Amino acid sequence: MSETVTITLNGREVEADPKKPLIAACHEHGEAVPHYCYHPGLTPVGSCRICQVQVKQGEAPPRTVAACRTPVAAGMVVDTEAAPAHEARRQCLEFLLKNHPLDCPICDKAGECTLQDYAFQEGQGKGRSVEPRRKLPKRKDLGEVILLDNERCILCSRCVRFMEEVPKTPQLCIAGRGSHSTVETWNDQPLTGNYQGNLADVCPVGALTLRKFRFQARVWNLLKVASTCPGCSRGCAVTVEVLRHGALKRVRPRHEPAVNGWWMCDQGRFGFEDANRPDRLAGGALRSQSGGWEAVPTDAALETTRDMFAVHGEARIVASPFVTVEEGRELAALAKTIGCRPVFVSPPPNEWADDLLHTGDPAPNRRGLSELGFEALPPDEILARVGEVEVVLLVGERVADLIGREAVAALPEALRVILMDEALVDSPAVDVAIGVPNYIERTGTWINVDGHAGRLNPARPAPPQTWTLVRSLDYLHTLLHTEPQGARR
Amino acid sequence: MVIVKRKTLSLAERLYLPEVVRGLSITFRKLFQPKITRQYPEDPLPTTSVTRGQPRLVVKDDGNIACVSCGLCEAACPAYAITIDGHETDRSIEREPEEFQIDMLRCILCGFCEEACPKDAIFMSNELELADTTRSALVYDLERLKRPAAALAERMDYIKRINKRWQTSSST
Repeated sequence: MSETVTITLNGREVEADPKKPLIAACHEHGEAVPHYCYHPGLTPVGSCRICQVQVKQGEAPPRTVAACRTPVAAGMVVDTEAAPAHEARRQCLEFLLKNHPLDCPICDKAGECTLQDYAFQEGQGKGRSVEPRRKLPKRKDLGEVILLDNERCILCSRCVRFMEEVPKTPQLCIAGRGSHSTVETWNDQPLTGNYQGNLADVCPVGALTLRKFRFQARVWNLLKVASTCPGCSRGCAVTVEVLRHGALKRVRPRHEPAVNGWWMCDQGRFGFEDANRPDRLAGGALRSQSGGWEAVPTDAALETTRDMFAVHGEARIVASPFVTVEEGRELAALAKTIGCRPVFVSPPPNEWADDLLHTGDPAPNRRGLSELGFEALPPDEILARVGEVEVVLLVGERVADLIGREAVAALPEALRVILMDEALVDSPAVDVAIGVPNYIERTGTWINVDGHAGRLNPARPAPPQTWTLVRSLDYLHTLLHTEPQGARR
Repeated sequence: MVIVKRKTLSLAERLYLPEVVRGLSITFRKLFQPKITRQYPEDPLPTTSVTRGQPRLVVKDDGNIACVSCGLCEAACPAYAITIDGHETDRSIEREPEEFQIDMLRCILCGFCEEACPKDAIFMSNELELADTTRSALVYDLERLKRPAAALAERMDYIKRINKRWQTSSST
């Protein structure tokens, strides 16, 4: 803890860090000072002037100052609700709204736009300007991820500073002077890099929008649930946003200083298509004699699984790296009963590793499962090993995808394959299939590469009749301890 | 407890027949007066611009729907009758509804959607009749809700007029 000084904030004596701007101290102590250009993760520049508060220092008369560019000093008397401060903010808003188009009904930011919030809060309901509004390009292409609406931009320069300071790849600038200023890339080149999605989050208005989220949903219709990114072993804290208890529409970073700060990479942000896959398996399914699939309740499928374990010989348990610690404990106990060492699929590292967030390791719970005694094996090694046994339990979301759906489909028919995955692999190789909830449908914990625990929380119900993996494994384990229907070997 | 006093009848009333004659005289008098019965549904009741019938969506004169699927009617709806999904267009108005459903079984015809709409796109029409044989047929979709602006013109004028009465000055 660094040295703190005492300031008076709205009549209260509070401790504040003199290395931080005044606005940080205000927010820390629960005073909602409005801000556009200030972002706790970026260098303050004081360009929007909306964060003005009244400060009295020593004998001098009180002044309104921009809280983001004023360092905390001992003995400051700060009043965030003073009438001159409110008036200064209201005047700022009037200028910011002078050229802001009135397309809130269309704008995707509506509902989480601080320009809307503060205009409402400060009572800036009408403008006096009779000049026409600026006309600027409304659909400016900034590459694969971002679309820029120049009219909506309030030139806070958060995006410019983000590109400079976080991925350290400066690509944006504010070009032109006065009312001709616009955010631009050099020579209209598209943005590059794995961190472009954060631009839409840092933008306080609807100027920078995600192409993939454009007009997908109104933000107040989204159920926002704290979760953990499954993209890599960093396990960034995220918020998953689900529309009407159905499709996952957006993933946004959640502030977590120990893991990801305020940011997340585009691989994680847009890698959620799997969560919306249409071919989900609900309940259980048994391979029938005729070759098709017979839908059965999960408990019936688990009883068949128990019979396979009881009747047939050596068995293996292959887990997905998406298996949570809680599910891993159940699996480890089950493996002990069966008499094998559980393994998990360790997919090869991808090319997205960087020194900021992405670890390049697509196994989100590698550390958690390793600590539970699971052995990490690459997919080809797993395929070689399951060839030696009679029964194999492939368990966890995306396990078939990570091993390779074709490879699972091509497993020898003599091998009894029990697949506990989100979707069916339609092949004679698979004998029993049991649906499992995916990462936005269950609770659990993933341990990231640094040992930080990331929680999963359910954002929508799993497909009907689908049991949680913990419940399925617990039931299977109980069955294995009771006398089987078939003859024990 | 209320005790109802029985009226003591006069002699004429107790004789019964004079009262029957008096009653029948009313019946026969009405026979020759103009009829006020209407042959509904062949002859429906007239509606006015104040009639708050079922909500309908405005199709502008250029053929495009006025709705931008902002979702304010959906948010304002107290009966959760409205569901909207938008998509992008090539026009300068960048969004329009892809699907716009009003569950007419839920709709309570309160007119909040009309009041919430920032784009003058949804109005309470003069259509009042609502009957079908299945529940799903009463969940109206976009095509069923579209009406040309001319069909709703009377209501639109009325709403603009009463809105003007509340408006004190133009907003930004």
